[in-house]
Amino acid sequence: MLNEMKIQSIGKKLFDVAGFAEDRVLVIIRLNGGNDGINSVIPIDQYANMTIQRSNVLIPQASALGLTTEVGLHPKMGGMRNMYNDGKLGIIQNVGYPEQNRSHFRSMDIWSSGMIDNPPSTGWLGRQMDVDFPNYPDAYPNATYPDPFAISMGYETSSTCQGLMANFSHAVNNPFDVYNLASSGVLDDGTYYGSHMDYLATLIDQANAFGAQINGAANGGSTLSTMYDAGNPLAVQLQYVAQMISGGLQSKVYVLNINGFDTHDSQVSAADTTEGTHAELMKRLSDAIEAFQDDLMLLNLEHKVMGMTFSEFGRQVASNASLGTDHGDAAPLFLFGSCLDIDIMGSNPVIGNSVVNQAGIPMQYDFRDIYASILKDWFGVSSGEVQTLFEHSVTFYPLVTPCGVGINEEDLAKEGALIYPNPATSNATVRFTAGNEWVKIDIYDINSKHIAEVYDGTLSQGRHDIPMKLKDLPIGEYIVQIKKESGLINSKLMKMK
Amino acid sequence: MTPYTGPWTKVEAGHLLRRTMFGPTNQQILDAVTNGMASTVTALLQIPAITAPVAFHPDETIAAFGSPWADSVYPSDPIAAQTVETARLMSLGGWAMDRINSEQLTIAEKMCLFWQNHFAANAGLDSRATYDYHVLIRSHALGNFRQFVKDMTINPNMLLFLNGATNTLYSPNENYARELLELFTIGKGPQIGPGDYTNYKEEDVAAAAKIMTGYLVDGLRSDTLTDVTAVFTPILHDTSTKTLSSHFGGATVPDNGANEYADFIDIVFQQDEVANFICRKLYRYFVNYDLTTSVESTVITEMANTLIASNYEVLPVLQELLASEHFYDTSVRGALIKGPLDMLYSMLNGTESVPGFDLATDYEMQLNIYWLADTMGQAYASPPSVAGWPAYYQEPSFSKLWVNATHIKTRFDVSSWMSLYGGIPVNGNNWELDALTFLDNLSDPSVAATVIDDICDVFTPKDVDVVQKLILKAILTNSLPDFEWTLQYNDYLANPGNTAYSDPVKLRIQLVLSRLFQMPEFHTI
Repeated sequence: MLNEMKIQSIGKKLFDVAGFAEDRVLVIIRLNGGNDGINSVIPIDQYANMTIQRSNVLIPQASALGLTTEVGLHPKMGGMRNMYNDGKLGIIQNVGYPEQNRSHFRSMDIWSSGMIDNPPSTGWLGRQMDVDFPNYPDAYPNATYPDPFAISMGYETSSTCQGLMANFSHAVNNPFDVYNLASSGVLDDGTYYGSHMDYLATLIDQANAFGAQINGAANGGSTLSTMYDAGNPLAVQLQYVAQMISGGLQSKVYVLNINGFDTHDSQVSAADTTEGTHAELMKRLSDAIEAFQDDLMLLNLEHKVMGMTFSEFGRQVASNASLGTDHGDAAPLFLFGSCLDIDIMGSNPVIGNSVVNQAGIPMQYDFRDIYASILKDWFGVSSGEVQTLFEHSVTFYPLVTPCGVGINEEDLAKEGALIYPNPATSNATVRFTAGNEWVKIDIYDINSKHIAEVYDGTLSQGRHDIPMKLKDLPIGEYIVQIKKESGLINSKLMKMK
Repeated sequence: MTPYTGPWTKVEAGHLLRRTMFGPTNQQILDAVTNGMASTVTALLQIPAITAPVAFHPDETIAAFGSPWADSVYPSDPIAAQTVETARLMSLGGWAMDRINSEQLTIAEKMCLFWQNHFAANAGLDSRATYDYHVLIRSHALGNFRQFVKDMTINPNMLLFLNGATNTLYSPNENYARELLELFTIGKGPQIGPGDYTNYKEEDVAAAAKIMTGYLVDGLRSDTLTDVTAVFTPILHDTSTKTLSSHFGGATVPDNGANEYADFIDIVFQQDEVANFICRKLYRYFVNYDLTTSVESTVITEMANTLIASNYEVLPVLQELLASEHFYDTSVRGALIKGPLDMLYSMLNGTESVPGFDLATDYEMQLNIYWLADTMGQAYASPPSVAGWPAYYQEPSFSKLWVNATHIKTRFDVSSWMSLYGGIPVNGNNWELDALTFLDNLSDPSVAATVIDDICDVFTPKDVDVVQKLILKAILTNSLPDFEWTLQYNDYLANPGNTAYSDPVKLRIQLVLSRLFQMPEFHTI
């Protein structure tokens, strides 16, 4: 996944390109405490039985924001409804894992690690980063990898990014904080003491180096949306994320957290079930994500960023007597971004007509398969490599479009070259293989008129991703021609506004 | 074990006190030098009595302000009860931190943290039970390990935490049984066959779960009962005779009702591996994370032999270890990175800094330290899992796990606030390091070089590089000749209460401490 970063930095040197389609970012929002899926994504066709099972927390049918005739959103989720209508929100129904563990801690460990039987000390993303960057944290950051591989918003690193030796995420509470820690000239004299002194000195240097990069990105970046609410902590953090991404920070993963989903009591207000703790949480989540997506659009970064929410479990079908719900099983998971290949995946949960003690929603999709599909299609990790990260036999789902992603080697061999995103707006990348040979890439219009030269030079053996700057091109159809010693490839490119 | 017979100076005494306490003062180290190793070790191995946590938060509506709440009921209304519980939890957190902050010359607080990490139960739903759990830990801190395990097995907080309270004849729950074998007593060895972990088998877990069936917990958040208790309920107990695996010689455990769990624990303790297991943990906590083959065959074996010979009394093992040649070996000095609590309270205790305001303010301030430690990865009553904090067990990184590039900044920020920028503000008061008192209590505060030597002796495990010491001295003297510091300090002494003289002295020592706390040397122990 992240090994493409090498190519980006070469690209940066050779071409003056503002952004890279290859430079993909995943934003993860953790809904801490166990989100009530039924009141988030409302199964409209189940109202009769929901009334039997959870009347005291039930959202009135008329208030649900309909996405389809069968599926609605919580009334406070207007922002995410708009995103759905724009094709920028995906819902995966009933995500969980076999034999759900209802302990917050254990289940969060399972979701963070992507392992069920023996949650290891590594996270699902950390394991992949261990493959890509062996020997981390020694020798990082460096000239090729100046930035943290992942950012965890807040004070804690994210357990999703825990590697064997260290956590790959760098915690950032405010990217404008200045790091200026006293560095230390201690040497490792080979003793236990010396090794620890050396380790601490490395951390101090790393903190300063990462801090400077983050400061630089935050100060150099911008944020354009006016939709962020300064009183919404998640929105503030997402705005920081947009600022860092637009400032060119090359971190691949941003993890954010929103607390308060453990709604055993007072989930809804007694007077009005569309108000209360859960309503406020859904509003914050929905508003913040809508503002963030708006910002990405204005910053022209939409093709670079996708997002995902997760929670350790859903809640039980039947509500309790305290206007709340208890720990349950599966729940819907949201994806967001402009490169989604799904709108609603899966079916509404079936609500029975009588209360079954402690019943949750049965799982339809295994969360590990969602992770696997994102690793494969968003980060371009091969399916074989993805499989090695998980203990179960992985099923891949098409969650993201070839908006610059979902490229597999078969397609590449067949096509000769792949352009993504395609259609493209301001930047696109052309991916092809070369064999240690001279390569020239040009863009022609449909009348074979030469428009621009993209590349002229020798490329090493293997797969290459060459960025193209399309901002000044008029809207229309173009031909990207790759001239290699071994042959000629012509591919169509569609330029959009 | 071979007893230590080498030099006994501030270096060795400081090593002993830093490992067994959170933050010795210069005077405590000097006293230890005077009193000698044997008598210092004996003094350390005593557990002083403590007082119970008291009500300080306005949300505590049952117990009166300033009085203990551990024998108080809860309000009947569940939401009101939750509010009171939150207040009690805060009291408990402040109390735990205050105990560390006010520790005298004793291993007590380090032992309590050791056992909190070993029997790693979180604070549960009822702070009275959580408090009882901490009292149990303290009462057995240097006592009989076998009896400790027995008492812990039927401790209400533990029964709730590992589902012992729902382990019944009709639905056995293996959670506690598994951890009892895997983490609390004999330890999990390599898997050598299906369900066979060298020291025990899956069938032992299943049998142990049945053996321990029938305990319920009564009084949880009760509005009438003043205590949370474990209650044995015969009809929920599995009365069949349980058979253990070959690892326990195929022993059988016949029905013995409420005491059957103790019979089982006696059988487990017949295996000497129990002694090895707990001695390895003690070694990693007090000496070094690295269990080399030679440490295993000498130190661990000798510790385990002592433990078995003393019928599983812990005190003799520590008495021997803390007076052994190996404990003072230069190779193990500075071999551990301080955990967050060690880091925070070495700073505070080493400078004799206590809040000293009113009750509620003091509790709040200690709670602030609690949350800071939490931010840095160590919430006292809330280990991340039943295995404890990974820094104490996770190979190969061990104590390195306490710090990362983020936590190191937090450590630096916190030490700067505490030493320079006003400390922790609560209710209009600030708790900052008592830098001036600390300075006054050093051996010769008017001599710059001595001040720096003393500071390094108190806070760092090994000799600090001469260049680093010069930098520290230059900070103290503001790069002036040393005699200028002497003059300034003597002026301050001659003008008591005059801040025009004391403030500059205070600032210099604050700057030195702030710098010292940002040196890697300070973060090792």
